[in-house]
Amino acid sequence: MSKSSKKKNKSSIVVKTLIYILLSILAVIYLLPLIWVIYVSLKDDKTLFVSPWSMPERLMIENYTFAWSAGKLGIATLNSAIVCVVTLLLCLVLGSMAAFAIGRMKWKLANATMTYFLTGMMIPVHCVLIPLFTRFSKMGLTNSRLGLILPYLTLSLPLTIFIMSGFFKGLPNELFESACIDGCSIYRIFTHIAFPLSKTGLFVTGLMTFVANWNELLLAMVFISDDTKKTLPVSLSKFVGPYNTNYSQMFAAIVIAIIPTIIVYCCFSNSIVDGLTQGAVKG
Amino acid sequence: MKKRILALLLTAAMTVSMLTGCGDSKSTSASADGVQEITWMFWDDLDATEDLISKGYKETVDRFNKDYEGVYHVTPITTNLEEYYPKLNAMVAAGETPDCFIVSPGPNLDVYVEPGVAADLTSYLKADGWMDTFNGGEGAFSQQTYDGKIYAVPLNIAAACVFYNTEMFSTAGITEMPTDWDGMLSACQKLQDAGYTPITISAGTAWCLSMLAGYLCDSEGVDTAAIDAGTASWTDANVVNAANKLVEISKYFQPTAAGDTNDVATANFYNEEAAMLIQGSWAIAQINGSNPDFEDKCGVFAFPGTDGRVIAKSDSLAMSASTEHPEAVIAFMKYFTDDTAQKYTAEVGGKIPVTKVEYDASKAPAQLAYVMDVFGNAKSTFGFYNESLASTEAGAAFDDTMVSIYLGTPVEEGLESLEDFYKNNVWKK
Amino acid sequence: MDKLLKDKKAIVIFVAPAFLLFTFILFIPICQSVYYSFCEYNALTKPVFIGVENYRQLFTTDRTMKMAIKNSLFFLVFSVVTQLIAGLILAALLTNIKKGRNFFKNVYYLPCVLSSAALGLLWMFVFTPKLGINQILAEFGIEGPLWLMDTKGFIILPMWVIAFVSLWQYVGQSMMLYMAQISGISTSLYEASYIDGCTKPQAFRYITLPLIRPMMATAMSLNAIGSLKFFDLIFNMTEGGPNHMTEVLATHLYQQGFKYFKYGYASAIGVVLLIICLLVTFFINKFVKVDNYEM
Repeated sequence: MSKSSKKKNKSSIVVKTLIYILLSILAVIYLLPLIWVIYVSLKDDKTLFVSPWSMPERLMIENYTFAWSAGKLGIATLNSAIVCVVTLLLCLVLGSMAAFAIGRMKWKLANATMTYFLTGMMIPVHCVLIPLFTRFSKMGLTNSRLGLILPYLTLSLPLTIFIMSGFFKGLPNELFESACIDGCSIYRIFTHIAFPLSKTGLFVTGLMTFVANWNELLLAMVFISDDTKKTLPVSLSKFVGPYNTNYSQMFAAIVIAIIPTIIVYCCFSNSIVDGLTQGAVKG
Repeated sequence: MKKRILALLLTAAMTVSMLTGCGDSKSTSASADGVQEITWMFWDDLDATEDLISKGYKETVDRFNKDYEGVYHVTPITTNLEEYYPKLNAMVAAGETPDCFIVSPGPNLDVYVEPGVAADLTSYLKADGWMDTFNGGEGAFSQQTYDGKIYAVPLNIAAACVFYNTEMFSTAGITEMPTDWDGMLSACQKLQDAGYTPITISAGTAWCLSMLAGYLCDSEGVDTAAIDAGTASWTDANVVNAANKLVEISKYFQPTAAGDTNDVATANFYNEEAAMLIQGSWAIAQINGSNPDFEDKCGVFAFPGTDGRVIAKSDSLAMSASTEHPEAVIAFMKYFTDDTAQKYTAEVGGKIPVTKVEYDASKAPAQLAYVMDVFGNAKSTFGFYNESLASTEAGAAFDDTMVSIYLGTPVEEGLESLEDFYKNNVWKK
Repeated sequence: MDKLLKDKKAIVIFVAPAFLLFTFILFIPICQSVYYSFCEYNALTKPVFIGVENYRQLFTTDRTMKMAIKNSLFFLVFSVVTQLIAGLILAALLTNIKKGRNFFKNVYYLPCVLSSAALGLLWMFVFTPKLGINQILAEFGIEGPLWLMDTKGFIILPMWVIAFVSLWQYVGQSMMLYMAQISGISTSLYEASYIDGCTKPQAFRYITLPLIRPMMATAMSLNAIGSLKFFDLIFNMTEGGPNHMTEVLATHLYQQGFKYFKYGYASAIGVVLLIICLLVTFFINKFVKVDNYEM
């Protein structure tokens, strides 16, 4: 190796090490509060105020088992899963269809339509809660999972369309031109080219949508009254709230809420990594 | 790929249609076999709660369903406290008002009485002598009566008093409970000289501080009804005095009062880090539950200087005016005020029963006896200021003014802004 | 090619399902909400039309509204600027390292997927005077400030605390979006530049930055809208306190609508929020002009 590139290597090693140190410190700041939540959830609530940092005498697994059984968290998780997965699938399909049209096809009203969908994202849910509930009540859809799926879907569409249209816009023109020469219809271009190639976008959007719906509390609380149909955040609110006083139990409930999201997230995020590296190799 | 998308769409469509089947909507109020179904809405989960009163309610519900099996059946709808009113209002707006629901008296109840959402219960109460079982007869319903008609039934009473650490008091040389303002201040001073924090309170949580402020205002003769009517003002001398008293006594709060939440402030008390706690009697369950050893050292006295008036609050049940089964609802409500439930309220829940029930004082928490004393000696009750002013917003404005005065706003300025609020929002209506 | 892209029937087929769903389910309630903003309405009785009275009150006598607008704007600027910078830096750093990229990416994105409500409670706990951070500081003899109760200054300390917590929670999202876009840039561009003697920072500035412009506009818009609508975290950390000094538009709306049952007034706040969002998005898109580069 020549002298100059050796120097380059040395300085790049120093730089790399610095970068790693910085990232690690940041990672610690990120993980510390979460580890603390788990820590507190295993303590006894009574000793919490006296000595919050002391080691728990014994691991209070009861906090978890009580939250799970009395809170009926098993059913709640199932309900959340059904609602969120169906919403996710429908949202990705319908959303990317609309995003493709807005992002890539040529028509005058494209921007206006985008803005139209965006208003759905800009209005806070609290504003539309009562009119929405009244409408659904008239349709007989309250207290049902479908009655949650439809609003969740409609509320997730703007974000999906917004992000996906950005991704579709970023696809290179040559792909479409060559497909055109091959005699593809616009539908085939969508299903065979655009949709598969935006995997990264789909995964990122899918993750954001799924997570937002998974954690959604207000609509679920108001729309669903039946204990067997409540979603996870609703059931968790029994333990987690500004008026609750059993903090260690509250934290146990928070941990239970977090774990499924982390699991789903890890599954999805690995696919995002694939999408990332795929993009890097291409060219 | 097209086939896959098609398959995906079909699956989605199938799932959706399947779920439509799953979506059975509002409960029918009479099922096939003739059982009358009613719904009861409550602000705590009945299975997962640790609150003793809520657990008592669950027992009541189960008892009712068992005793009336085949005739009536009640299904509870539960939310957490935060979302209770939003959900209740959404259901009312959609025409799905629950047959029976719990509500706090004051402006919260006003909202349902004025538009006729809550039903008039006077005739039911007068029939069968139900009303006579209540302590104080018709007077027990003073907070639930509008224009001579009663719209809700109280289930239990909690009074706001001063809890104190008997050991600290004796060490500091305080032999008699303070009965007036100067006595209170001197007690605080003695405690401070003995090295204790005299008072623990959550000054940042508005309703906590407002309890104290309410007592101070009342002790100065502030008449909230007159203020609401516009014949008295928030800048009158009596309010100014009350606010000054608040500033005076705040010297004796714990140093972290501004930042402590209600739980932390209460924990200060039962962890013996402060001598006095001004709270409602619902705190008894929390205190004894968190530190059972403390029960023996915990005494109660009435807030001094109020000439026998006590702040009291009750949970109340209302009936929907549009219910299809009023008899079922009334039968249900009666279960909450019968002896079994009321005994539980006192003996286990530690709250003051509303009926003339005999309960075993030895089973009840020690502090309840003292609270009953205070309550029994009270000449009259008045509501929490933030629950008995012209509207919930007015109540919140009062709370906020008191907190800001505590945090340093000059008294005149704070009261002026409260006055402005009333000018803009209450008096012109 | 153009003929394909202009196929009207196809456009309708693509957009119709989402459009119909949206119109039928969400748009009509939004219109109703706008209508309510001109009424006095408490959900239990019929709305009473009162014209622009709500808006007049909102902008003249409502002191909390002024506080809310101030805080919301602070939040908006803070969020957009810090997330842009931090997100870009993190994305740049992470796409350049190989080992541990997955790990760090997962860690930084993690708070995004957790429920804001739960996180709000968690952080509130961390910042209470008796427990949490102040206890650790006490070990070192430092007396920590009242993180969530201090009321001095134009933008009070609790607002900064909340702003940083929201940065902690959401920077991962911006980072993720940028990383996704960067991954789409073909490596041949970079290779060509290195051959020409470009350094890494230069490559970043002249290649990466321009090419991720579309995503910058998207991410900034999302940040802006999210920060204006921000509710859960603030509500659970301070509930808008102390004394309404950390109120933002969304918490003010919630209080008016759900605590005081003034739905008409709350709808007016919602409409104001909507208009601000539209304006901000419009400006962002003008500011970050996007060209379609040949990749």
